Amino acid sequence: MTITRRLLLLSFFLSFTVSVHAQEWRPPTTLKKMPNGLTVVISEDHSAPTVGLCISYGIGSRLEPVGRTGFAHLFEHMMFEGTPIAPKGIFNRVVESGGGFVNGQTDNDFTQYYESAPVSALDAMLWLEADRMKTLDFSPKNLDNQRNVVEEEVRANVLNQPYGLFYIFDLPQRAFDKYPNAHNGYGDFKDLDAANIDDVHRFYDQYYAPNNAVLAIVGDFASDEVFAKVEKYFSSVPSKPTPPRTDVSESPQTAERRVTQEDNLTKVPALGVGYRMPARTTHDAIAGAVAGELLHNGQASRFYQSLVKEKQVALSINGGLNLNGAGPFEYNGPVLMISFIVYPADKTQDQVLAAYDAAIAALATKGPSPAELDRIRSKMRADWYSNLELPVSRAQALSHATLFDGTYERAYSVPEEVSKVTADEIRSFAAKYLVRTNRTIINRVPKRTDKPAASGGAQ
Amino acid sequence: MKILCLSLALLLVASTYAQKEQPLPKDLPPFGPEKPLRAPEVRKTKLENGLTVWLVPRSGFPKVSFTLAVVGGYAADPRDRPGFSQLLTATIDQGTKKRTARQIAEDMQDAGGDVNAFAVRDAIHISTSVLSSKTTEGLAVLADLADEAAFPDNEVTLAKRNLTDQLEQEETDPSFQANRAIAKVLFGNGPYGVFSPTRDSLAAATSAELRGEFARRFRPDHAALLVVGDFSPDQMLSLIRGKFGAWHSPSSPPVAPASAPSVTAPHAIFIVPRPESVQTTLAFGASGPHRGDSDFETTEVANAIYGGMFGSRLVNNIREDKGYTYSPSAFLQSFRSAGAMRTQADVRNAATGPSFNEILYEMNRMVTTSPTENELQQAKRNLVGIEAISLQSNDEVAGELADLWMRGLPPEEIGNYGRKVAAITADEVNAAAKKYFPAAHFSVVAVGEEKVIREALAPFGLPIVPAP
Repeated sequence: MTITRRLLLLSFFLSFTVSVHAQEWRPPTTLKKMPNGLTVVISEDHSAPTVGLCISYGIGSRLEPVGRTGFAHLFEHMMFEGTPIAPKGIFNRVVESGGGFVNGQTDNDFTQYYESAPVSALDAMLWLEADRMKTLDFSPKNLDNQRNVVEEEVRANVLNQPYGLFYIFDLPQRAFDKYPNAHNGYGDFKDLDAANIDDVHRFYDQYYAPNNAVLAIVGDFASDEVFAKVEKYFSSVPSKPTPPRTDVSESPQTAERRVTQEDNLTKVPALGVGYRMPARTTHDAIAGAVAGELLHNGQASRFYQSLVKEKQVALSINGGLNLNGAGPFEYNGPVLMISFIVYPADKTQDQVLAAYDAAIAALATKGPSPAELDRIRSKMRADWYSNLELPVSRAQALSHATLFDGTYERAYSVPEEVSKVTADEIRSFAAKYLVRTNRTIINRVPKRTDKPAASGGAQ
Repeated sequence: MKILCLSLALLLVASTYAQKEQPLPKDLPPFGPEKPLRAPEVRKTKLENGLTVWLVPRSGFPKVSFTLAVVGGYAADPRDRPGFSQLLTATIDQGTKKRTARQIAEDMQDAGGDVNAFAVRDAIHISTSVLSSKTTEGLAVLADLADEAAFPDNEVTLAKRNLTDQLEQEETDPSFQANRAIAKVLFGNGPYGVFSPTRDSLAAATSAELRGEFARRFRPDHAALLVVGDFSPDQMLSLIRGKFGAWHSPSSPPVAPASAPSVTAPHAIFIVPRPESVQTTLAFGASGPHRGDSDFETTEVANAIYGGMFGSRLVNNIREDKGYTYSPSAFLQSFRSAGAMRTQADVRNAATGPSFNEILYEMNRMVTTSPTENELQQAKRNLVGIEAISLQSNDEVAGELADLWMRGLPPEEIGNYGRKVAAITADEVNAAAKKYFPAAHFSVVAVGEEKVIREALAPFGLPIVPAP
């Protein structure tokens, strides 16, 4: 009886196949959509007796409620706080004793939950993921506990750290104007403190539904058997209506924005520079991804060679498109190309920016050389492959791509898309987007500790 | 005497925490049949010049990872140049007799890789991961660095300046300060006491010294090349012979492995003042086993139960029950001839004393209570499973092989781990806990607001002194 029902429902799955490009590395992958709206992507990998699993929900910090900054992330913690039938602690205990690990991550545009374990733990992990997709414990005591944990997380990663990740959290707040793009996704403590259990209920009811999620599984198994398992555990999860998507688009930026911040904890100054980027699905965006890597990727990059080696105005520079999110190919709303530059205390912001602007001007007038373009294509191909090497990271890439596009194609097409970008497209991208009126700069300087005699009475 | 103080303190502020073990949900599916980890098939060769070559061909994923490991890391640095290895690894890719720094970076980028050179206590690694189709190009750069790194004066000058500024920056990071201080506390002036340079050692270092240390450590008879990925082993071996065959060892003596430290760390609290700190970073350390010791794996099991897993006693107590901290961690540090037990947590200032108390409580609870059967099975399954999932990528396998080679262990050790862990009993875990977990064995570094730390930790009755 059970078996019959399972087979019957399986036949309702919609199947897609994607054509294979001979020269690209494409592990065999299949996508099916269940009647309750859950999209399932499965890829076999028999190189180790393990499995990686990722379930991404289509909600991130960007769309969290006004007055509840940091809530998407606090909620992510609540997903580990138990359900009526699998109380707090069970999820971790089962996955860990199955030989694996579990974690969650809140991005601007998705929240992902992922596990990596020996394949013998797959059934238990699927059951647990399905269980917390049906309901949660909604315990006020656990909310208080996780509010404390999250505030310690913010202290450890931001408030107690030199630079406090200002180029990740502060720069977008200055560069954008609309609340979804311009608030602190880690959360202000007053908002975290104000969050209550009704908020947890509401958020869960709005966004945590199979029709707002993509489950991707990569590992040492037969795909058909795993689709059957997913059907068994998830088909009883009801779909729910999700709210209409807020318009998150920004009006164009018209003038450069400059901010100076003092840092209590650092002794070495730093700059954060952010340029507003085109939408992910536009042709300019892929040119922007390549331009970002040409400028920032490793010691061969233009910024490293110019600022650190040749002009010696920076100690380090790193960055790229959507640095504060999941990188240049995974986002769903306004993002920045960010540079984070640490510079010696005996140099000025202007000296650093003069070298920085010269590097951009060179790219915007001449574009990359053919050899340089070949190099960065190889590097981006190699980096992207590495992003797909581990089962759990491939599961993440497949689930993000599918969440945004309805197909996992992007997870495998990035190297090919990159190889098609021309030098002239990169040049014109730089000329159009990497301009002063489109950027925001934060200069983060050590707090002055030398107290001039004249201000001796001041606090 | 110290032990007495500590137990009095514990009586004064006894923990109220008692962990309950929830039953599993009745519908939860059981674990499926175990599939054992397939140990990588390693093809072992030694070239005529003495270079050890271990090849692990794996088809499918179109990249190849290389790690070149040589004997001698921070522990081998000259006594008057602490942290010298950092300068050595920062400049080794900044020019050879054939290539400029820029050419090295560009040639490696063209192969799809980066040069990743870093020192650990007992070795230096140069690693890269390149496209299978660009194996020859990537290997050519690696061989060039191993044989002919030139340490040009201008690059060394720039690196010295930038590392000095980097040190200035790192010193504002509480975990850097805690790690540096606990190493000094645990290993004193011995070879394992240092892992970062000082302003003085950076200022004094010269290009000539770099060339000298490079010649002393980078010699094929004390080096290994670990290669993992999509390649044909015969072609790879002939490629390696072609690129590395001309590399020769000097007749001078090689680096001797570091000797085991003889110091016993004091049971005291060492303060690193950090004005404006909103948290206290607590770092506990004591002598522990190292990989190769007969009780190493047993102590790993004990540590997993204590604080190594997310579901461990310590994480359940100070994070999931009390919310004092975000990511407490407990781990074993394992060098070639020494080891350390470590516990670390960043806690908000107000939770400094209570967190300290709970950590001592959980350490001592390891000594006084045997693990339950569930705890034991969870920890053992976790360690074996984590081994399987942490040896999936080419880079991870190459790194693991480099670690085994550095310790003089064979690559077959990878396949032995599961069997060793499976055989461990509760009594053995308890014996290891009694040996390594008594709280009175631990030294503590506390980084944060000095006043906060002194007030919070005074009731424990331990000496509170400035960190060395």
